[in-house]
Amino acid sequence: MADNTVKTTVKKESFINKMGGQKFIVLLVAIALFLVFCAASPGYRKTTTFITILDFSYYIILMGIGVTFPLITAGVDLSIGTGMVCYALVGGWLIRFHDCPTGIAMLVCVLFGMAIGVLNGFLVAIMELPPFLATLCTCMITRGIGSVIVGGFGIPWPTAGADNAWYRNIFKLTDGSTIIPIGLVWMIVIVVIMSFVLNHTKIGRYTIAIGSNKEATRLSGVNVRFYHILAYVICGFFAGAASISYAAVVPTVQPGTGAGFELEAIGGAIIGGVSMSGGVGSVAGTFAGVFVIVLLKTGLPFVGLTANWQQIITGLVLIGAVLIDIIKTKREQIK
Amino acid sequence: MGEVILTMKEIDKSFPGVHALDHVNLEVRKGEVHALMGENGAGKSTLMKVLTGIYSKDSGTITFEGKEVDFHSAKEAQDAGIVIVHQELNMLGHLTVAQNIFIGREFKKGLRIDDKKMNEEAKKLFDRMNIDIDPKETMSKLTVGKQQMCEIAKAISHDAKVIVFDEPSAALTETEIDELFKIIRDLREKDLGIVYISHRMDEIKVITDRVTVMRDGSYVGTLITKDSTKDDIINMMVGRVIYEDPKTESMVPEDAPVVLKVEHLKAGHMVNDVSFELHRGEILGFSGLMGAGRTETARAIFGADQIESGDIYVNGKKVTIKSPSDAVANGIGYLSEDRKRYGIVVDKTVAENTTMACMENFMNGIFIDKKKEREIAQKYVDDLATKTPSVDQLVVNLSGGNQQKVVIAKWLTRNSDILIFDEPTRGIDVGAKSEIYKLMNQLAADGKAIIMISSEMTEILRMSDRIVVMCEGKKTGEIGIAEATQENIMNMATREIE
Amino acid sequence: MEKIKQNPIVKKIGFNRVVLCCALILLYVVLCVTTGGKFFGMARIMSALNYAYFLGFLSLGVTFVIATGGIDFSIGPVMFCCALVSGYCFVAHGVPMGLAFVISILVGLAFGCFSGYLVAYWSVPSFITSMAGMNIAKGIASVFTKTQSVSWPQSSQDGGWFRVIVKAGAIPTGLILFLAAAVVCAIILNKTTAGRYILSLGSNKEAVRLSGVNTKKWEMLAFVICGVLCGISALFYVAAYTTVQPGYGDNYNNEAIAGCVMGGTSMAGGLASISGTVIGVFIIALLQEGILALNFDKNFQLIITGVIVIVAVYSDVVARRRKN
Repeated sequence: MADNTVKTTVKKESFINKMGGQKFIVLLVAIALFLVFCAASPGYRKTTTFITILDFSYYIILMGIGVTFPLITAGVDLSIGTGMVCYALVGGWLIRFHDCPTGIAMLVCVLFGMAIGVLNGFLVAIMELPPFLATLCTCMITRGIGSVIVGGFGIPWPTAGADNAWYRNIFKLTDGSTIIPIGLVWMIVIVVIMSFVLNHTKIGRYTIAIGSNKEATRLSGVNVRFYHILAYVICGFFAGAASISYAAVVPTVQPGTGAGFELEAIGGAIIGGVSMSGGVGSVAGTFAGVFVIVLLKTGLPFVGLTANWQQIITGLVLIGAVLIDIIKTKREQIK
Repeated sequence: MGEVILTMKEIDKSFPGVHALDHVNLEVRKGEVHALMGENGAGKSTLMKVLTGIYSKDSGTITFEGKEVDFHSAKEAQDAGIVIVHQELNMLGHLTVAQNIFIGREFKKGLRIDDKKMNEEAKKLFDRMNIDIDPKETMSKLTVGKQQMCEIAKAISHDAKVIVFDEPSAALTETEIDELFKIIRDLREKDLGIVYISHRMDEIKVITDRVTVMRDGSYVGTLITKDSTKDDIINMMVGRVIYEDPKTESMVPEDAPVVLKVEHLKAGHMVNDVSFELHRGEILGFSGLMGAGRTETARAIFGADQIESGDIYVNGKKVTIKSPSDAVANGIGYLSEDRKRYGIVVDKTVAENTTMACMENFMNGIFIDKKKEREIAQKYVDDLATKTPSVDQLVVNLSGGNQQKVVIAKWLTRNSDILIFDEPTRGIDVGAKSEIYKLMNQLAADGKAIIMISSEMTEILRMSDRIVVMCEGKKTGEIGIAEATQENIMNMATREIE
Repeated sequence: MEKIKQNPIVKKIGFNRVVLCCALILLYVVLCVTTGGKFFGMARIMSALNYAYFLGFLSLGVTFVIATGGIDFSIGPVMFCCALVSGYCFVAHGVPMGLAFVISILVGLAFGCFSGYLVAYWSVPSFITSMAGMNIAKGIASVFTKTQSVSWPQSSQDGGWFRVIVKAGAIPTGLILFLAAAVVCAIILNKTTAGRYILSLGSNKEAVRLSGVNTKKWEMLAFVICGVLCGISALFYVAAYTTVQPGYGDNYNNEAIAGCVMGGTSMAGGLASISGTVIGVFIIALLQEGILALNFDKNFQLIITGVIVIVAVYSDVVARRRKN
């Protein structure tokens, strides 16, 4: 009897669902996009281009993985973009002007991110402010803090070859003329770890449970506030980590920038199947979704569209992804 | 039946203005299924909420396993072994069955949640219950019946000694009910005490050992099920009270034209092939028990929910109603049972609420003619004797009865000819009730046609010219006021489904 | 305290607004003292007013959206987009100044329709449309102007007459126009069907729908009004500051929202005060000017407005909780 049911459920599942549903489709889309750009532009088909694409994907991937957690609780974190720039500024400022060892500066970046995460979590879970509003405020606050601390000037982190530049090797190993984008390996490791956290630990389980039905979760005796805050702290942690990879790829970190990065991360997550209404999402899906965004961002200039088009297209893609999510939810409700 | 496991004695509970429980008794033995019956609002749910610590009692004692207990939260009661399976399910749709059952007390293996063990434990639980559910299935993909089984499994996994089922069969299919009964019998075998709340008379006969009947917040009596008939139980439920001035004959003239005709209306699973006619000047009572689909029928006619099929005729003309604005344009007005959510805009004034449905009549060019607006509001405040210091008062500050009058004023201002009153006197105190009744009679005499959905038998018998009875989404009877008695209405409302 | 609240004059004006007015005056006095009197005088006030005009129009616009229970934080970039597109049309394509005005307002209108339609008819969360709108606005502005900044003409130049909207000789026309716009907005919000339905649906959308009202239409209208006001705001921005650069504008989102929520408009919807918004905007503008006068980093403004919004919204959350 039991065997029978198992068999029928397997039969019912389509090939796509077996491969991971939306995740799989998004992966295919990403690959297709890549091939289209490769076919359209010879400049795109170079190893150096690949390396650049990867370089500029790390910080968005990290932010995307982080923001997946608040999104699954049916919240959002808009402060990651400007936050990330703020942490990078502060870290760079410590290295440049206070002879701070790079390692310590990196630690400060991550801790700062987590502190803002705690603040966001407090505003949302304890003070019960709407998540988008609370994080919109912290978005502006972090931008202000970053500019105020460093004094309004751009801060470069140590350039390649300089002392203290070892942090760049985390993402890219240069051995003579060959460049190994080792960052990609780290990203995959992180995706595996965070998938584990989301699917197999209490943290992940309660994150999903809060997004699914917060009140029922509370009535089951779960410390909802703690886990709700934790989701934002995780997000802050990854924004902090993203700031390091961001500092490694841009020549100088400019105060006042960073708005718009959160859109790329959130857009990637939603494309990857995270539902705006909470409770649904996967780290691997976000990973694939972010790649779609990154490919668009890097590929469009090669087919003759300026980088500005990418902003417009990212905006429209986000709306499209949300509409798909809304229609999907509606259909399920009718069922 | 074994020894007594739970005794509730002389439980008394008042809410502001309502004496919800008046010295109620309940006794549950090990290995018995004890039915708790009563009309809507008889106090069954309140009693169960007192038992599980959601409400605190004013007086009386609860004895559980020989010790007096006093729970302060559902969790405390649960830990002691009293679990309630709610009618509306407390589930996490995105998690799997096993994850739902063990939420908040997951098995762990180091840092990792041991999903494998949880699945095995859930499987064991289901095997013990003899049901076939895959613990790894996502909760939202299960049928409502299966979800209910999971709730029961969760209750059992808490080591429950007493399980309360609050109308468990309301959303289940016939086969699912059979399965549910099998489980309940099984639990009875294992010497658990079971409280079973239901409206379905046939079920009571099949599954329960004893029946306790409540009426208007007080204890009526306890019967042995197999020694009593359906009529015995119904008599206890409705009592022998003589209701004050019931209507004896219809006030509608024979030749009154049909203003609303509904044919084969279908909308969702709660409105299944409903047809009826409504005449000018008539008050048509809609009777039935909770969840009979009366509100859903009203909402469908009003366009608040999508209609799947069926035809609606207003004054003999077929109309298409896709949204409330279509219904309003056809002269239909709806007074919801939940005024605060669907009736009034609480932080707007009496005048503003009064003109909500027909702003266009109160315009002076592009500006709202506030003078005219206040005049009409004042007129209805006077006509309906609404108690408010002024028409500029925010409706949130008004009492329930006066809020209801504001909603009535809204539809009268719109000149709606067909009014649907959904539980017109819910949450309204006795004095204001008779005022609302007088008003409704006046409206009918003025030629309005009224549909009145009511769960109060008194109200139905006192107000209606004709009565439609619904049960489980179907119309199960229609009866003129002259022939109507509480018994035959209750009979139709609890009719066994073939 | 209670006594003051019960005072008939205070009651008439509204306690909240009295407090705001006091805060405005107090802020001015504090700034005068801390700057050693430097702040005293017309120059600073005029400069603060210049800031208040364009911000005021943004704030008035977002008041309508917040009244429906939604949010729009694309207003800053949309305003910049309006200024850039219309300015570019004037500078590069030689369209007449009058037409440039119309273009600016039409661009704002288009953005309002876009987000309004998505929010009202497709139930897309308004913060998503804001986020997307913000990027689309920046993108369009950059693409259209080929990432060049646009300078609007000086008073002496051709088409420079448009600056009279801010100042005509000694007459502060900007102030007059802004207050006139505020009055119009107050009339729309309190005296017309549109305002009535916008406020009511912010308070209880389902009850309004069940009264037979086409709630979607009115909800969309709130966003459209906001968009048009963004277009007008753009004109006041360039009339005061001449040059606009693509890619910016998001700093103003929070300041506009701060002015609005400080003035007593509830984030939960249904409750909005135009006069409150006007005073709120003046406070923000004065604060901005004060930070400059005190030689503080101008980015303190971001932090302060962020905190203001959090405090204002939290007090609204608490007030609502107490009511229930």
